[in-house]
Amino acid sequence: MLSSIKSHIPGWSVFFQALITLVVPLLIYRIYKALTSLADDKLVSSGGADSSDEEPTHPISASYDANIDEIRNTIGINSDVVIRELTMGDAKVRAALIFVKGMQEDQLLKMEIMRMLRDTEPDHPLPIIERLPTNAAHTISTMEELTKAVLFGYLALMIDGRDEGFLINPPSGPARDITEPVSESLLRGSRIGFTEDINVNTAMLRKQGVTENLQVRSFMVGHTIQKELAILYLDQIVNPDLLREVTGRIEKIKLDFAAESGYIEQMIEDNYLSPFQQTQNTERPDRVIAALLEGRIAILLDGTPFALIVPVTFSMLLQSPEDYFERWMPGSLLRILRFLAAFIALMAPSLYISFISFHPGLIPTELALTIIETRQGVPFPALIEVLILEIAIEILREAGIRLPKPIGPAMGIVGGLVIGEAAVKAGIVSPFLVIVVAVTAISSFSIPMYSAGITLRLLRFVAMLFASILGMFGTILFFLLICCHLSKLKSFGVPYLTPLTPFRWSDWKDFFVRVPIFMMKRRPKLMKTMQNKRR
Amino acid sequence: MSASKSFLAQDDKITSSQAALVLNNTMLGAGILTLPRSVSETVKTPDSWLSVLLGGLVVMLVVILMVKLSLRFPGKTVYQYTQIVIGRYPGILWCLLLVLYYIAIAGFEIRAMSEVTMFYLLEGTPIWAITIPFIWVGAYLVRGGINAIARVGQIIFPISLFILIVSYLLSLRLFHLDNLRPVLGNGIFPVIQGLKSTVLVYSGCEVVMTLVAKLEQPKQALKAMLVGISIPAGIYFITIIMVIGGLSVDSAVTSTWPTIDLIRSFEVTGFLFERFEFPLMVIWLMQMFCNYSSFFYHSSLGVSQLFNLPYKSVIFALVPVIFLATMVPKNINEVFMLGDDIGYFSILLFILFPVTLTLVALIRSKGGPQHEKS
Repeated sequence: MLSSIKSHIPGWSVFFQALITLVVPLLIYRIYKALTSLADDKLVSSGGADSSDEEPTHPISASYDANIDEIRNTIGINSDVVIRELTMGDAKVRAALIFVKGMQEDQLLKMEIMRMLRDTEPDHPLPIIERLPTNAAHTISTMEELTKAVLFGYLALMIDGRDEGFLINPPSGPARDITEPVSESLLRGSRIGFTEDINVNTAMLRKQGVTENLQVRSFMVGHTIQKELAILYLDQIVNPDLLREVTGRIEKIKLDFAAESGYIEQMIEDNYLSPFQQTQNTERPDRVIAALLEGRIAILLDGTPFALIVPVTFSMLLQSPEDYFERWMPGSLLRILRFLAAFIALMAPSLYISFISFHPGLIPTELALTIIETRQGVPFPALIEVLILEIAIEILREAGIRLPKPIGPAMGIVGGLVIGEAAVKAGIVSPFLVIVVAVTAISSFSIPMYSAGITLRLLRFVAMLFASILGMFGTILFFLLICCHLSKLKSFGVPYLTPLTPFRWSDWKDFFVRVPIFMMKRRPKLMKTMQNKRR
Repeated sequence: MSASKSFLAQDDKITSSQAALVLNNTMLGAGILTLPRSVSETVKTPDSWLSVLLGGLVVMLVVILMVKLSLRFPGKTVYQYTQIVIGRYPGILWCLLLVLYYIAIAGFEIRAMSEVTMFYLLEGTPIWAITIPFIWVGAYLVRGGINAIARVGQIIFPISLFILIVSYLLSLRLFHLDNLRPVLGNGIFPVIQGLKSTVLVYSGCEVVMTLVAKLEQPKQALKAMLVGISIPAGIYFITIIMVIGGLSVDSAVTSTWPTIDLIRSFEVTGFLFERFEFPLMVIWLMQMFCNYSSFFYHSSLGVSQLFNLPYKSVIFALVPVIFLATMVPKNINEVFMLGDDIGYFSILLFILFPVTLTLVALIRSKGGPQHEKS
């Protein structure tokens, strides 16, 4: 008995392996912990410092000269700040219009205001603010507010003897025309896309239809340069807890300057170490409205045509508005096709590697023979072979974005053909691999969200590494790892893989198959909306 | 980053369908590949399918008992209520036995998995290269708690079921009803004898005693657990019918992995894969992964609850233990011997454990309605 136990005690090498089994995950865990604590620092510690040192405020004084001097000293050194002085009426009261060139395009308005001021008597019964020929005017009392507003583009008016300033007319700087969304073009569907102006964007969303429930809440983000950010949601549908969570995270943002909504995305996401995006970005107002109707929340940032939608689930990344616009059968077909494409884009090269270099016996014999025959002259192992072609394709794709429009497509085709054909002729890669890589590349283009496509491109290389080490077993491990990660991942409290898991049968109506619209009577359960029925 | 507690706040609870799935995944492991051989070895007649059905029924009765017992202590796992019922130290001792048992099964499953992999996929690869990454990925999953395990199971189980059914349907061409005859040719005795080897394939159903505590709605516990046990029972039943019907008892006994051999023995020409053992292997690796993670989870939960240790550190501590448990058998025959030993051990834990606990709980009137109030 004892001897049989003794004989089963493994050797030292096994204990050493056990030690490695313990140490490696511990190390990875330590690194992971350190990296996540970095993220906590970013949010918390930078916040405490700047609230204490508020600058002293300068109230606007009644003396016109003092005010104008103050303005000249602070912002007057800018060559684009215009201070237009004039006198009002017969009493010769001095006044000044202050604005930044290019931010107030409305010449007529300035003329009107100047004419009104010139004709005004100081003892006019109505206060001046009521007589300004504009729909937007308010008073302010501190110098800081005034200079800030002027630089932001407001038209400011100062009048002698008054300890307040008027801000007239919000900025109307140059803006881009509304164009078709470039990154998400559709064959069928509206051609409208967001622009850089947040007011135009919110107006676009309001124009989608009449509702009292669409609510817009504004925030200012950025410390050095502030920007307007708006949260949009449908009151009475959105879950209040979710709304609180989103506003809470946005209020916590500590940023110098939010150049694009990508900055916001990276500040509010749940897990910055995940390769998967936890907010959806879109240029399409119809997409945003559809998401709002499902109980999600949209975040718009001034200066970017990309709106963010939270929370996001994996299935959303493979949906396109067209699925709903077309009839349900083609819509469903295209959607299933996209799931397949995502799988190919992720796994095809790693499957190639594991079949060719580990298990040629598992594919049909004739095919295996043909592939091996064509690979005869290739001097590299399958991994290197795939890497060469994959990297070439990725470079080609990256270069294609930057190429001037007229030669872009031509270069792409020529580059692809030449590289593929020549590489095969030169004996660097096998022709079968060219097919695999081409199908992979095309598949990754069929994913409607560009950012989701990048994620799959990234993970494809990881999958290839796994496959090159452990073959099919490695590929399965990789798949399991992704499954584990995705089932742990949450976007704003919503499990990333719903409705696949946690399993919600009712939400499957809009998952692989898009059922006819009359059957989708309820909002997605996963959003825990306030109002469950769609009508 | 900031954890979102408010929206969809969840303590680590699972729905009843998830619980059924976890139970199912805990039992559907290596058993399905070896079951036809191990049962046929003891039964020696084509009646092994009767043993499987009978075994399933016995296990169902035990599961009902375990659910009833666990429901007396709402929200408490077996590790917690055993100490209430039979006292602190005996309770700890008994539960440690359970934890060891789980670790042994986890080790056994991984070992079986790596033996299959080395045999069919990666010949000549050192065994540690297969087991260690597998354990690591499992540890990553187990860190997410029962919820993550249930979710991964929900992704993988439908795929496995689909491929399994397709494979069996294709193997129908080999099926001969004669292989399953005569029914009860040697009387009922071989069937009863076969029961003890069928019990191994159901080992793992002790996790019922922790799963009930993790349910969102404990009222549905019994139904969920019975569903969870019927799925593997049904799959085992179909497996044994198809394998014995396709291969006959004699070849099932001599083959190491009879189920894979059945699928290997036919070719489907003009299809992407000519042989279906490849997809079967793939999904079975994934199914084994779910299976082993469940045991890993239950043993780490046990250690952490018995000694009040943080759950996430226990996982790290158990990683090398499981690896050692994997490496203990010297060759494949010892793996199967270990499997048989686990089966006998599980009879002890399975029948003795819940029965004694229930009796003691009834005598000392621990738990039940009055416990709920206090």
